[in-house]
Amino acid sequence: MFQSILVYIILAIAVGYLIKKFLLPRSLFVSGSDKSKPCGQDDCGCH
Amino acid sequence: MSKQINVALIGNPNTGKTSVFNQLTGLNQKVGNYPGITVEKKEGICKLARGVKAHILDLPGTYSLNTTSLDESVAVELLLNKNDKDHPDVAIVISDVENLKRNLLLFTQIKDLKIPVILVINMADRMSRKGISIDITLLEEKLDTKIALVSTRKGTGIDRLKELIADYKNLSTAPNVDTTVIAPEYFDKLRTTFPKQDLYKLWLVITQDVNFMPIEKKLIKDTSSFATKSSSELKRLQQKETILRYQFINGILKETYKVDLTAAKGFRATLDKILTHKVFGYLIFFIILLTIFQAIYDWSSYPMDFIDELFASASEWVKNTLPPGMFTDLLAEGILAGIGGIVIFIPQIAFLFLFISLLEESGYMSRVVFLMDRIMRPFGLSGKSVVPLISGTACAIPAIMATRTIESWKERLITILVTPFTTCSARLPIYLIIIALIIPEGRILGLGYQALTLMMLYLIGFGAAILSAMVLNKVLNIKSRTFFVIEMPNYKLPMLKNVAYTVWEKTKSFVLGAGKIILAISIILWFLGSNGYSEEFNDAEAIVTERVQSEGFSNFNQSAIADDLRSYTKALNDSVSSGVYDISALAINDSLEQKKATLSETALQQEISSYKLENSYIGKLGKGIEPIVKPLGYDWKIGIAVLTSFAAREVFVGTLATIYSVGSDQEETIKHRMAAEVNPETQRPLFNLASGISLLLFYAFAMQCMSTLAIVKRETNSWKWPVSQLVFMSVFAYLIALIAYQILK
Repeated sequence: MFQSILVYIILAIAVGYLIKKFLLPRSLFVSGSDKSKPCGQDDCGCH
Repeated sequence: MSKQINVALIGNPNTGKTSVFNQLTGLNQKVGNYPGITVEKKEGICKLARGVKAHILDLPGTYSLNTTSLDESVAVELLLNKNDKDHPDVAIVISDVENLKRNLLLFTQIKDLKIPVILVINMADRMSRKGISIDITLLEEKLDTKIALVSTRKGTGIDRLKELIADYKNLSTAPNVDTTVIAPEYFDKLRTTFPKQDLYKLWLVITQDVNFMPIEKKLIKDTSSFATKSSSELKRLQQKETILRYQFINGILKETYKVDLTAAKGFRATLDKILTHKVFGYLIFFIILLTIFQAIYDWSSYPMDFIDELFASASEWVKNTLPPGMFTDLLAEGILAGIGGIVIFIPQIAFLFLFISLLEESGYMSRVVFLMDRIMRPFGLSGKSVVPLISGTACAIPAIMATRTIESWKERLITILVTPFTTCSARLPIYLIIIALIIPEGRILGLGYQALTLMMLYLIGFGAAILSAMVLNKVLNIKSRTFFVIEMPNYKLPMLKNVAYTVWEKTKSFVLGAGKIILAISIILWFLGSNGYSEEFNDAEAIVTERVQSEGFSNFNQSAIADDLRSYTKALNDSVSSGVYDISALAINDSLEQKKATLSETALQQEISSYKLENSYIGKLGKGIEPIVKPLGYDWKIGIAVLTSFAAREVFVGTLATIYSVGSDQEETIKHRMAAEVNPETQRPLFNLASGISLLLFYAFAMQCMSTLAIVKRETNSWKWPVSQLVFMSVFAYLIALIAYQILK
């Protein structure tokens, strides 16, 4: 039971992360200084 | 309270601005012996004496304040716009000791804007080797400024620079050159019409597309008492201004800058002659590419095998150690399998970036750009497009941003649209795993077939890019012309620190950037693969057991059991005949029966797992899309991997690793799992030459990267181009993969 609850929580986080990453606009989550962060740094979407 | 001042680092491309920035701020921005590394401003903080803090801005390289491209205009905008929060209190012009004359053109222009300016002469460590001597005191006097002689390579001169920044208020703001002499009447009129404005700033506003002064361009045009000149007249005046500045600079350098030409030119000129030769140049480049791809294979096989086995053992350990349950299964079959599927490629990615970094640092990459310019011209592109195309071997996103250096909109747009064809590092995991499965390990002339195939895929990507450029050049009805000037940096021994930093950063962002997406997708895939709603899923065990009892195992499992039994019998008989075992014929029979029972039980479990997977949520979804991918030689599992890899290409391998491990109790590497997959219809390996080549070609041409689409939208400011790009590349990839499979099957 405990393991199942843990799995559903992890699943919800994973789905949430993908929605945030690909479906919601980036401007909702980054502060002003981060918006000007050049590409090539962490989380710019480039890999 | 500590005071903060704004400092702007400006200079020609490839003079080491970012190296100075890194040394002042202690940050680690990417540097390279390669023009156009910085296309956006970067910022950092430097602590100076007396508690003063300097807010340092590293601006994209520009040859003068007469800008021609987007990246150059960043510097001009900042210098002209006093209302900008980053407008500099002091500007630092970074120059290269070997190209001081050309670098000083920009210096005199900034000085004439009456902004306090410090001149940094970088790469001072080369002076003695190149026979250069400079009278710094006299040069300071003539230019009416302060100079820091810096070597970022040796870390000298930075303290002096910090002192000069702290004392910026003592710098003279008197102009170097009186520009008004190029057209006295015109400037008199300008002065009379706008008495409160600075003349040189007005001149820059008039001659560029920049509107950031208190008086804007439109206002100048609208002022009836002042007639602006035609653009051709303005260009002629700009040329006169440049000549005037060079006369001023020549006069000064004649007295202060001496160079022993015989010492300076010999080696570089000879090397340039060979490396940019129209035959040997390409031959050498080709040999270098071959060496790189061979080395990627030869050097990384051991660490790759180690990582692969490590993850397989970790998965096994988790299953045996943690209490049984959903979370244990998720960890062993979902998370570890998915992440292991991508971590395994770290050695090859690291070696690729090591070589790219060495080529950039040594100065060779600029020669490659020069060489490629000759190839690109007939296809409607200039050498400037080569920089993004080569950068695209790492990642298309910074490469598309690097197109900002291209002046012509048409060339820039074409380059943006074709850059995703270049083989980026995200394609590498797919290529490597498929090549390992379908191409034998043999060699020809010391070069492995697998390495040659990999190189062919890189060439196919580059070929697709330039052929598409040719088509787009004819189709797009946009008129514009451009010119190509490339800085030929000096050859130098790569700095270990820079190379190591690039390798570390690129590899880290490859793993972390894609890793989070792969982790999330692996979790979701595992869940969808381990659960189902249908009766078939819930009663899988009973259905499959009954089927096996009535019809026997599948053909594949029957032959696998027979093969295993044969080898077991042979090993047992060999052991008995050589005296290792001393057992009776009856005991041998018992042992064989026992082995057969174990193999049958494993085969039964495999068939149950496989049946459950087929009837799980993901199986139903996969079966739904199977008709679309079947003509390409793929089954529903590959179809799911192609679908999820739209987020990022490397997700493909992670997805397959997760799907193949769902329900599996065996410790197996991803390569073995893929090699064991069988096409149920043909009973042949699923990853065979036909389906493998089809997959390779699909990924060579398909636009499977959401981040790239987003950046294309941003850079073109329209959805029209990314959508066209996505549709064209996907349809083209599908057709090519279809043709390849249908011919080879």
